[in-house]
Amino acid sequence: MVSGKPSNTKSFKGVKNFNFLLILLCLILVFLGKLDLIAIRNIKGFLSDFLAPVTYAFNKPVKEMVGVFEDVKSAGSLREENIRLKSEVRKLRVINSKASSQELELLELRELLKVLPEKKSQIITGRAITAPGGIFANTVLINAGKDYGVKIGQPAISSLGLVGYVVNVSLKTSRILLIIDINSMIPVYLTSSNWPAVVQGQSGKLLKIKFLSTKAKPVEGEVVQTSGHGGRLPSGINVGKIVKSFSGKYYVKPTVEFQRLTYISIIINKKPENVYSTTFHGFAPLQKPEQSIKLKGLNLSGKRIIESTED
Amino acid sequence: MIKDNNLLHIFYSFSRSLLFFIFLFYLINLQISLSLFSLFETATPNLISIILYICIKRLGINPSNTIMFFIGFFHDVMIGNNLAITSIFLILFKFLSETVILDKNNQEEWISFTIIFISSFVIIFILNSIINLSIPELTPIFFHIGITLILFPIINMSMHFFNFVTRLIKG
Repeated sequence: MVSGKPSNTKSFKGVKNFNFLLILLCLILVFLGKLDLIAIRNIKGFLSDFLAPVTYAFNKPVKEMVGVFEDVKSAGSLREENIRLKSEVRKLRVINSKASSQELELLELRELLKVLPEKKSQIITGRAITAPGGIFANTVLINAGKDYGVKIGQPAISSLGLVGYVVNVSLKTSRILLIIDINSMIPVYLTSSNWPAVVQGQSGKLLKIKFLSTKAKPVEGEVVQTSGHGGRLPSGINVGKIVKSFSGKYYVKPTVEFQRLTYISIIINKKPENVYSTTFHGFAPLQKPEQSIKLKGLNLSGKRIIESTED
Repeated sequence: MIKDNNLLHIFYSFSRSLLFFIFLFYLINLQISLSLFSLFETATPNLISIILYICIKRLGINPSNTIMFFIGFFHDVMIGNNLAITSIFLILFKFLSETVILDKNNQEEWISFTIIFISSFVIIFILNSIINLSIPELTPIFFHIGITLILFPIINMSMHFFNFVTRLIKG
């Protein structure tokens, strides 16, 4: 209770004992939490479900404010942004045309080599409820839980690359451990040299590279992707790029901006039951392309249209 | 009659505690969501410790350790921290704020806050390192401590200013 200082020594002793008990309880909870007991996990899950709407409501004004600040900031650089985007579109068009021809080639080669088809996974997307605001923990809560088929260990991705993996699931929410967290370790490979390694979070902005062969020579800017070793994460998901520190050590800088996460997708291996069939009625099917091409002055059968002009 | 008074007193103190709990809970949520701002991308300031210090030292509000425990516990559940780590920090911070007494000078106040905050944070940091068996990157931690210590005099001064204006209006 909110109160003043205790008046007599007896109550003071009682308060002291109670405080000591509280500290002891906290320490026990810390170690029990680390043991990852099912009961503790369930309590955490239940509390996450319970607190999620409250947290979302409390965070909403700050999110809106951040949005306004971002809008004002971007309004000043609209012209430069437009020029940059135009040049990027030009570059992407060139890449797209190259990619489509290479894709065809790849498909033909796969067929020739009789490569086993990869198991197609399904994706479920949820909204991030909390911001990753801890110093010792880097996790995000999303509003998709057991109901949607989310399970512990499933990888979470964004449009830019790997975000992390699911560490706790409750009925309505699930917690994702970000790859920058100190407890996260991801098997990866360097895409240019094909050397496998493990990246570990440090609760900072960069990831530490572990178990990389001494023969490997990482190049600055080299893309790092998941290797799929261990079978938990699928291979080929972007993790980050190699950066060199002042001390000459190599680190991986994640491609994902963790502070700007709004929607996170979880790769689920099984089709979710009772989700789309009962609650989601689906989008309207895509329209079929028209069979004939209409040209100006010609009708559908290709005959010339004679327009009568009236003066 | 006396019984009724007792009941009323209990109800009064309970509602006061509840209000304070809600206030602290909102504050801790605000602290988490501050990370959405690009300024606090590296780490967020420890707002709750600043407000708690001002409440204890200036306003004479002495929240109970049970409130501290629950606030810390909920904070840890929300951000996925090791359970009850923040509770220990808050209880330690409150205990040190009550015991460490320096002069009521503004500068001394800042020094006393620095001592209290850093000592309780160091204990938590060591505990976390033992539990995780590894030391995290120090940049966010230094940023967290630095930004909290910078924000403390700003909040303190703004409260002084607010007090001055209210007195001016009343007078």
